[in-house]
Amino acid sequence: MVENVRLYLERVAEYLPRMLESLGETGIMLFFAMLAAILLGIPVGTLLYLTSSGRPMEHRLLNRILNAFVNIIRSFPFLLLVVAMQPFIREVYGRATGDPVAASFPMVVIAIALYARFVEQSLNDIPREIIETAQSMGATTWQLVWKFLYVEARSSLIVGFTTAAISFVSYSTIMGVVGGGGIGDFAIRYGYQRYETDIMYTAIVLIILLVELFQWLGLKLAKRLDKR
Amino acid sequence: MIEFNSVSKTFQEITNTFPALSDISFAIQKGEAFGVVGESGAGKSTLLRLINALEKPTSGSVDVEGITLSTLENKQLRPLKKRISMVFQQFNLLNNKTVAENVRLPLEIHSHSVHLTVDEALNFVGLEDKKDQYPSQLSGGQKQRVGIARALVTRPDILLCDEPTSALDQSTAEEIVQVLKEAHKAFNMTIVVVTHDLPVVKALCQRVAVLEKGELKTILDVNPSTEPAENKPYHERAIEVLSNG
Repeated sequence: MVENVRLYLERVAEYLPRMLESLGETGIMLFFAMLAAILLGIPVGTLLYLTSSGRPMEHRLLNRILNAFVNIIRSFPFLLLVVAMQPFIREVYGRATGDPVAASFPMVVIAIALYARFVEQSLNDIPREIIETAQSMGATTWQLVWKFLYVEARSSLIVGFTTAAISFVSYSTIMGVVGGGGIGDFAIRYGYQRYETDIMYTAIVLIILLVELFQWLGLKLAKRLDKR
Repeated sequence: MIEFNSVSKTFQEITNTFPALSDISFAIQKGEAFGVVGESGAGKSTLLRLINALEKPTSGSVDVEGITLSTLENKQLRPLKKRISMVFQQFNLLNNKTVAENVRLPLEIHSHSVHLTVDEALNFVGLEDKKDQYPSQLSGGQKQRVGIARALVTRPDILLCDEPTSALDQSTAEEIVQVLKEAHKAFNMTIVVVTHDLPVVKALCQRVAVLEKGELKTILDVNPSTEPAENKPYHERAIEVLSNG
């Protein structure tokens, strides 16, 4: 038993540098995905909300376009989205394979679409009275969004972000297909292709810990900000 | 002055249209405390919402200080809305903002040259010690006081109250009426109160319009009650209503 543990630890020590490198690649992909979710997913989701029927900026065409974008991206099997984006990535980034930054492009696209939908749903949950209060004060749409909607929706926006970020972890594991690396790719290569089951499970445990960490942080923050 | 000129409002539903207000004409004088009463569905909330352009009339016109609201775009309505405050039945406070932040909110929406400070407004409604609490920590009556402080902080020319006491028990309602009455006296603005609760308008208003099924039945001059408002504890009132045949 003790011998087995020692052997296992030795193997982990041997693979540790590769594992850490893979985690770093996952980190790069998650960073770009999360950044895109915040910088673009939130505005797209907010526009989806504002332009829908009966809302302050009702605009049928824009709403249809945004909905189509979100639905098309989300209904793409992710692997096909990755493949379909190859020519585009090569065009703008120079290379489409073998590097986590190139692999981040499809991650960014899915991140925007996924989180935009969460943002829209969070805003839909805000009571009508709050919007009416803003309108009775003569608030501009900008003020409505920043001083009313985001304030009241903030915990639900964070809970949604947590769920989205956990999906990003899952999406990132596919990126080995185009040489994007990452901890998921590591698990597949060593566990599935080289039958090093112990190393595969170690990598899977790392992924689980990463997800647990996101969930814990997200809920803690959401709870602290929720004063309802 | 607020003027309704042959105002009608119909709401379009999928199959039929139903009239919420039909051919309403009357005027509310500057500085007046004016009540609008009627049963549920009489159209009183619609009438109030016409005054700050949350609704537009189907026909006729609503003039506020000589300006016909329906001729204005949303952007042009802003300077007018800046001088009109509203108190809501369900208080409509932001749950994620503290009491002080809620009261400060209207000052962040428009810049006001003359206004109360947040502390002055909270002092006026007697809630200076609650400024750092969140609405969920307050009772209904306290929440409505915050709502009133938020409405008063801009020193509005017109204060619109939509069923301000309907979510409150009777003694709390009386307290809120007192606060509104003092506000009227202290700040001298026009108050329009919509309610189904007759004692509220009796205590607060000088004139009252009676609505029924969207029609203006009459406008009454209120004969103020000479005896001071009873402020009995709830258990005494319960005995009075339940035990004394």
